[in-house]
Amino acid sequence: MALLEVENLQTHFRTPSGINRAVDGVSFHVNEGETLAIVGESGCGKSVTSMSLMRLIPEPPGRIAGAIRFAGRDLLKLSDREMRAIRGNDISMIFQEPMTSLNPVLTVGRQIRETLMIHQGLDKQAAEAHAIEMLTLVGIPEPKRRVREYPHQLSGGMRQRVMIAVALACNPKLLIADEPTTALDVTIQAQILKLMLDLKSRVGAAIILITHDLGVVAEIAERVMVMYAGRKVEEAPVAELFRSPRHPYTQGLLGAVPRLGSSLTGTARRLAEIPGQVPDLRKPITGCVFAGRCALATDLCRQYAPGLEEKAPRHVAACHYAAKGAVAA
Amino acid sequence: MLSYILRRIVATLPVMAIVALFVFSLLYIAPGDPAVVIAGDQASPEDVERIRQSLGLDRPFLIQFGSWVWRILHGDLGTSIFTNLPVSTMIGQRLGPTLSLMIVTLLLTIVVAVPLGVVAAWKAGSLIDRVIMGFAVFGFSLPVFVVGYMLAYIFALELEWLPVQGYTPLAQGFWPWLENLILPAVALGCVYIALIARITRATMLEVLQQDYIRTARAKGLGQGGILFVHALKNAAVPIVTVIGIGIALLIGGAVVTESVFAIPGLGRLTIDAILRRDYPVIQGIVLLFSFVYVLVNLMIDVIYTLVDPRIRY
Repeated sequence: MALLEVENLQTHFRTPSGINRAVDGVSFHVNEGETLAIVGESGCGKSVTSMSLMRLIPEPPGRIAGAIRFAGRDLLKLSDREMRAIRGNDISMIFQEPMTSLNPVLTVGRQIRETLMIHQGLDKQAAEAHAIEMLTLVGIPEPKRRVREYPHQLSGGMRQRVMIAVALACNPKLLIADEPTTALDVTIQAQILKLMLDLKSRVGAAIILITHDLGVVAEIAERVMVMYAGRKVEEAPVAELFRSPRHPYTQGLLGAVPRLGSSLTGTARRLAEIPGQVPDLRKPITGCVFAGRCALATDLCRQYAPGLEEKAPRHVAACHYAAKGAVAA
Repeated sequence: MLSYILRRIVATLPVMAIVALFVFSLLYIAPGDPAVVIAGDQASPEDVERIRQSLGLDRPFLIQFGSWVWRILHGDLGTSIFTNLPVSTMIGQRLGPTLSLMIVTLLLTIVVAVPLGVVAAWKAGSLIDRVIMGFAVFGFSLPVFVVGYMLAYIFALELEWLPVQGYTPLAQGFWPWLENLILPAVALGCVYIALIARITRATMLEVLQQDYIRTARAKGLGQGGILFVHALKNAAVPIVTVIGIGIALLIGGAVVTESVFAIPGLGRLTIDAILRRDYPVIQGIVLLFSFVYVLVNLMIDVIYTLVDPRIRY
């Protein structure tokens, strides 16, 4: 059964120069315990999507429409109080910047305790004990000492571990991780990913992983949704997507990943770039959102927007020309 | 921490020395011969000469300054020309009312201005924000004596809720003491409240944009916890700084406020001393105010370490 069902999500922002359609009609679902990756370049709407799920978009200037059904309840219909009871408890979030996402003037312990005291009704002592437990769980040495320290006394990797401890303290059913490893050193990235996977299997939480790092996707996601210009352009199980991407944009994304050691093995090729820029989301787009940058685009693409079409089992893409059935990549 | 405070106290010594030098020079900067000034209009040349010698005014400037400082360090601020009482005694008698007025004003300001600033920042751009900031401009533009007389007219003369003027020492009961201080504190606090509310709003606006505020919201915290714990504690350093700087405003304003409400404090003493050209008293008061100001700023540096763990000395 789907834990989260998002239907025709539209998050628009009123700006002085028109309405910015940051997310425009995106639908997807996440099953219990599943890991869904949302990928796309900067400005494609993946972060706005995740913020919309938590209703953390300031309204106004933002406006969220559509339906976000979490465990059967439409989050967009809840009162602020009901929504607060879900945030940090049933759905929690990890952000990109561990350096700035923790409050610099409150102790690490206090920041973990808070959610436990609000949502689980623990008293201070019990919450403190649980906070120490959480720090142990995320692999922070000397948790009894660290719990009294402030974020600036911790390294970047340690802080992201603390963020994970905060996010998982209440055993959420869904964890939204917005670029959780982007700001970290490569060696630390691997540790954090492994930690997230370990904890996921322990807690049984579903994960929505927002990233532009396809290496991370291959490593931990089960299903991938590709976003472009505020829309979903392709979705498939991870192996299927990497093996046979259907949308030209996805193909471009995969082609733009450098392969380690390729110049040594003689298989080096020029990194494929995707020419052009993301279209201005404040102007209405007719036709395919990717047409302006697509090598295959024809007049058909520029006039009629392609719908999402099942190109292979559990594999959808929004492209007039994407091949159906099995293709050799 | 303790060693830092000690170092800071030592560091205030040069500041105090320079202030002392200025204060001492007052007597010389003022037009006319100090001895003539002190002796008054009806003094004979012999009187002037006698005063000159008794005050050591015939000795070189630096020697005079040195012996003056030496006496101050021993707690001797000199003797009033007008009353012949020791300056320290006169200041001691007037300290209570002024201190009471300043403390009540300070507390009132913090209790009123900080929440106003926080709410204005939270509701930035809304009607509430504009009303609060409008009042802030208003409060900032009105002179203390205008506000003072207005308040006295409305609340004391017309409504008769509070006494028009005067002062009752704390020893005679809390309410009689406070009752006399409410109107002066509001009058004196106006400018100060406006200043602190504005700086609180500006700082909070910036803090509310930070990533950790988004984190706090994502954790399911209520608006109150976000504003007054997560945000305000981060905004505290600039706010505390301005509160400290504002003490100077209070000192200046107290002089006027005490005149308006007939409070027998240091402000009144200052005005009386200036009118009588009672230089030793003026010197003593200015020195005291400077010392208090330096001390307050030292306290503020200590408070920094309490609100922001990243600041360590």
